[in-house]
Amino acid sequence: MIGSIPLSDVLLASAALFCVGLAGALLRRNAITIFLSIEVMMNAANLALLGYGAALGTREGQILVFFVIAIAAAEASVGLAIFVALFRHTETIDVNRINLLKW
Amino acid sequence: MRFVFDAAAVVAILFAAFMVLGKNAVRSVLSLVVAFFALAVCYVTLYAPLIAAIQVIVYAGAILVLFLFVLMLLNVPEEAMAGESRPIQHYLGGAAILVFTVGLIGAFSRSPSPPAPSRDLSGLAEIAPLARQLYSDYLLSFEALSVLLLAALVGAFALVQREKRR
Repeated sequence: MIGSIPLSDVLLASAALFCVGLAGALLRRNAITIFLSIEVMMNAANLALLGYGAALGTREGQILVFFVIAIAAAEASVGLAIFVALFRHTETIDVNRINLLKW
Repeated sequence: MRFVFDAAAVVAILFAAFMVLGKNAVRSVLSLVVAFFALAVCYVTLYAPLIAAIQVIVYAGAILVLFLFVLMLLNVPEEAMAGESRPIQHYLGGAAILVFTVGLIGAFSRSPSPPAPSRDLSGLAEIAPLARQLYSDYLLSFEALSVLLLAALVGAFALVQREKRR
């Protein structure tokens, strides 16, 4: 229990959010949507971390989430730079048609 | 508090689903902004107001605006964006999601509940002790993180630079 919130609610919300993100990453073919789905999955992990941190009464969860958000910012900047370079090169962001490194 | 958390979590999940299902990329990004705001509300109810503020400022404010900038900068035509997935991708992806969802919910429902902390939780929401811990116990990680951000900045700049004519 976190205040009046049961931990199972937090974990269930986190699992549902992660699965929505996973579905987006696996089923969509648009590179930007896949990238957004990865951000959703990171947020689901953050939610679980904060839930367990509060349930255990420690601040470590918040500190871990702080680091995760900073790394997500770094990842987003580099990932979007890759998309810009890729779009200039191939004129598409459909991941089925980006197969330079395939086999 | 429980009602607020549950309502915000449902809003976050719904708007994340809109993001996944939406065909228009700009609309996807905007619905994710709403989802991240709802998650910030969840974080406040979990006694993490600083993380909620960072979520709004960095995630909704910086990262998603960066996505919007890139979308508008590229101005990708509709047909270069969507693309049909092959049937095998649908089947394999659907199967993987199903297996993962069942496994994840099973693992979470079996995980033991931690013992309830005896002390008052509102102390967790204070920022000064959090900052003290961050700048003492986690100082090395914090500095490594600033180097990582610098490396990401330089890397992003190098990636988008046009090649010089020889």
